Amino acid sequence: MTEPVIRTRDLRMRYGRTEVLRGVDLEVGAGEVAALLGPNGAGKTTTIEILEGFRRRSSGEARVLGADPGTGGAAWRARLGIVLQDWQDHPRWGVRQLLAHIAAFYDRPRDPDELLAVMGLTAQAGQAVARLSGGQRRRLDVALGIVGRPEVLFLDEPTAGFDPRARREFHDLVGRLAREDGMTILLTTHDLAEAERLADRIAILVRGEVTVSGTPSGLASIVQAPSEVRWLQDGAPRTERTPDPSRLAYELHRRFGGPVPGLEIRRPTLEQSYLNLVGAEPGAAGRDAAAVAERTAA
Amino acid sequence: MNTRPIALGVRRGWAEHVHSMRNRRELLAGLGGTVAVFVLMVRWQGGHDAQGTHVSEGLLLAAGFVAFCVFSTGLMNLAMMIAADREEGTLLRLRTVPGGVPAYVVGRAVSVLLQIVTYVVLMLVAGMALAGLELPSDPARWLTLLWVLALGTLAVVPFGAVLGTLLPGPRNAASILSLPVMGLMVVSGVLFPVTSLPEPVQWIAQAFPLYWEGLGLRSAFLPDAMLAGEIGGSWRPLETAGMLGAWAAAGLLVAPVLLLRATRRESGARLAARRERRAAQGAF
Repeated sequence: MTEPVIRTRDLRMRYGRTEVLRGVDLEVGAGEVAALLGPNGAGKTTTIEILEGFRRRSSGEARVLGADPGTGGAAWRARLGIVLQDWQDHPRWGVRQLLAHIAAFYDRPRDPDELLAVMGLTAQAGQAVARLSGGQRRRLDVALGIVGRPEVLFLDEPTAGFDPRARREFHDLVGRLAREDGMTILLTTHDLAEAERLADRIAILVRGEVTVSGTPSGLASIVQAPSEVRWLQDGAPRTERTPDPSRLAYELHRRFGGPVPGLEIRRPTLEQSYLNLVGAEPGAAGRDAAAVAERTAA
Repeated sequence: MNTRPIALGVRRGWAEHVHSMRNRRELLAGLGGTVAVFVLMVRWQGGHDAQGTHVSEGLLLAAGFVAFCVFSTGLMNLAMMIAADREEGTLLRLRTVPGGVPAYVVGRAVSVLLQIVTYVVLMLVAGMALAGLELPSDPARWLTLLWVLALGTLAVVPFGAVLGTLLPGPRNAASILSLPVMGLMVVSGVLFPVTSLPEPVQWIAQAFPLYWEGLGLRSAFLPDAMLAGEIGGSWRPLETAGMLGAWAAAGLLVAPVLLLRATRRESGARLAARRERRAAQGAF
């Protein structure tokens, strides 16, 4: 059996007394697009930065392309593409100039002009990076991430701050990269729709743990938020939440001795399931694990 | 040995230098302003002879000004450049690239060297053309000028890089460094003879490379008639080479380690946290 391209086992990260990763298990196969989904503070960025070799883990196992990210050398790094959340580097460089410069670090880079065309940045080729719009800048970041023909691409919150059009264009681009180049992609996002649209596999990370993982279509059944059953009892509306709506419907059918008036079963959508899962976590929103790490390090 | 990062670093350094030369604000406020102040001061002092000699005060000032320019560019400008590179994510970007970190280090060294050369050449040429500055006439003095500039640059550039890794950001770098650098300028004899200062201050001055750069450049620019204003009545070339060499060696030992450590510590989360702090301080 082939080894997964990305694999973590019991991955843990501690900053002082704060444990931001509490045993993350993750596997991403070759050519898969996987999404690490979770609210702010769940540990997504910490996980991805450990896998990129930017952070040393406290304990557990991590392998990317068969190597430990903590000790991966230049040859290993050349097989990765990395697109971080918030880059504003090289503001005075020209778009093409920067892309050609970064390409020169690799043995078999993509042609910068072709890549600019693919990214829709040909018109901006001679422009200074600082003058690009947010969406253009992000596309340049992706171009810089893939110019070395990486086997694995890490995308950290790739569409944060995008307008809907830029977001759709970006989703199409990621889809093309996975389909046409067979690239393995791991992205982090807190946007469920984005994960559903892009990923073959989703792992939901809550408070430093992968609570559930699977295909987008399989997740709703795994998470199983209770379904809502509605009917009319003596003309008055009644509602009951149950994990087993079929059984309740059967019981109602028996109780009424036939068809149940106004019977309606609402199964949870993936979004409801997700919100149910992460919403139960007190204080999760707005508390960023990486920020905790930075404060601790400071 | 893989020489690609070095070649790419040299190319980076040249590109960075061209960018700064094309930046109108940087060109006017930095290079233009420095050269203009240099010419004005040399002209202003050019009419007066140093006490008891026939040597122009302008020449004395020129040697000190050039020394200070090398010192402040190598130390402050480089520190601010590196702090800005950290804040913008340039260091992190190059960390994601194979061989990117050595290329970055070489690139920054090349860009600051080019900046120093540009400043010094333009100051000397403008001084000659507009302020009647007389440059050394014999080859031995030119040789002194060149080795003092080269060693003086090497003595400060690695420490500029170290400061760039330690300081919290480019704005803080300017505010933190300005005062000590100005203090050193006052006590290092680049504006007036160091022998006019109290002896403890002279010892403090001699601990830093600025004094030795100034002394070395004065030995290239000034006749021996000016030796009366120097400590020990000598140009002390061996001590100058020794002190500047010691600073350079110490810097070259420490700087790569700290630069690599600073680069290794860079991450997306750190970058974001730094930017959040700046935003909270209202720096945007």
